[in-house]
Amino acid sequence: MTTIIKAEGLTKKYGDFTAVDRISFEIQEGECFGFLGPNGAGKTTTIRMIHCVSPKTSGSLLVNGVQAGIDNRAIKAVTGIIPQEITLDIDLTVRENLLVFARFFDIPRREARTRIDELLKFVELEAKRDCKIDQLSTGMKRRLLIARALLNRPLFIIADEPTTGLDPQARHLIWQRLRQLKSQGTTLILTTQYMEEAQQLCDRLVVMHQGKILKEGTPNRLIDDLIGREVVEIRIAADRDEALIGTLGAGACGHERVGDTLYFYCRDGHDIRRKLIELDLPNTVHRPATLEDVFLKLTGRSLIE
Amino acid sequence: MNISYRVAHVFVRNLISYKRFIVTTFIASLIQPLFYLVTFGIGMGAYMGAFGGKSYLFFLVPGVIISSVMMSSTFECLYGTFVKMIHERLYDSLIATPVSAEDAITGDILWASFRGLISGGLMMAVAAAMGIFPVSLLSLLLLLIVMAFIGILFASLAMIVTSYAPNFDFFNYYTELVITPMLFFSGVFFPLDNFPAWMKTLAQFFPLTHAVAIARAVYSGVYPRRLLFNIGVGILLGVLAFVIGVRRMKKRLIK
Repeated sequence: MTTIIKAEGLTKKYGDFTAVDRISFEIQEGECFGFLGPNGAGKTTTIRMIHCVSPKTSGSLLVNGVQAGIDNRAIKAVTGIIPQEITLDIDLTVRENLLVFARFFDIPRREARTRIDELLKFVELEAKRDCKIDQLSTGMKRRLLIARALLNRPLFIIADEPTTGLDPQARHLIWQRLRQLKSQGTTLILTTQYMEEAQQLCDRLVVMHQGKILKEGTPNRLIDDLIGREVVEIRIAADRDEALIGTLGAGACGHERVGDTLYFYCRDGHDIRRKLIELDLPNTVHRPATLEDVFLKLTGRSLIE
Repeated sequence: MNISYRVAHVFVRNLISYKRFIVTTFIASLIQPLFYLVTFGIGMGAYMGAFGGKSYLFFLVPGVIISSVMMSSTFECLYGTFVKMIHERLYDSLIATPVSAEDAITGDILWASFRGLISGGLMMAVAAAMGIFPVSLLSLLLLLIVMAFIGILFASLAMIVTSYAPNFDFFNYYTELVITPMLFFSGVFFPLDNFPAWMKTLAQFFPLTHAVAIARAVYSGVYPRRLLFNIGVGILLGVLAFVIGVRRMKKRLIK
């Protein structure tokens, strides 16, 4: 496998504030690599450095074998960006948006036309080709952004929170398209705060918090290592913790009290579940462990502002 | 300065989007000159007598043409660019392609100059309909070149202002405190000869003063020696404004 992106000690400072703090990671060709983290974790800053719209402060960042830099047109030419915000050209129609963008990439006119027809089909916007941007729904705009990101047949695609603000249908459609791209061998780089999205799409991910990488691995590996397989949540007053931990603790690989809830993390929850039925507690949930548990365990369950 | 041929791509993008505004801007560009030429030219001109053997309109027209170039290119790079930068986030997606920030800004400056050229051209057409022409075909061609250059100058100055602007209201400082006074103290409507010395000196700092002087010379085909000074200052200001404008905007776009 070829390494497409390699960062070592990558740092970004805005004045005194360190947005990205000496992080290192490698992204391989053909994988979907995720940056998972809360707002302000440094995910977007990191990918902005990768696609050369924000200069790094220090460290090394090799993209496709060359150092990323603000004037690096070669890297920009092989990158596809699905931005967080909808940055479509609202003065132009759907098709004109793509035509103008193709021009920015120096794609010859005839080739651009065929490519645009293909892409509009791929994102199911053929019927909207001559519509103005403000006549599109948010989901359609997001899909058009995907088509736009694919115009230049990029070596890798960066999707910066691609489903933020979408309804479930639109979100699943976007996921399907991204998975389809992955199955065609496209390298995908994804930032997200949605655990489900990371679990659905990423082969490998890093959890970022306050500019640092806390953990790296496959979603399942991370869950297994840090949480176990199952989670039992008991909503109960804290004064009963000691008794409950005494009874149930043996069957779990960890426990945690957050607010009104006592969490037990375990590999096999049957034992705890049986005891819970005996205890006959009213408010309990027994569920599989998710990336969300990993995320909350790593970044803390308190509100991040 | 990382400028490439991609400036043309940005220009073409603006040209395509212009379809939506073309009618309104053409009408606005026609009404404004009529307003100036009728009120100042005919109304006031009646009291002015002859200017160097010709009617006041011959004095007024080149100045008004240049003012309309100034207005158009200024507004394009104030409001037009601000909307593209903040509201439409167009620059964000532009600079993620092989188009550099410098390409994008230069493309917009050239576009604003083109808009100025259209406004000035319409003004010229109205003047022609009133029987006021440049002295020769050569002088018409030279005038177009001057207009394009003056457009770049004022578009670049506006870019500098936009690079600092937190919101639309900020532009009022520039238009009310710089552009409007300049219109009256740069010899557009009347010669500067009767102003006190300090005011004449002050006027030399206004780019419009030099722009109007050059345009008037070209329009009438009478080239005074002082013209070289006007051209020198004009080019100096143009180059300075362009370099500073592009640098400042790049700083704002790239963090």
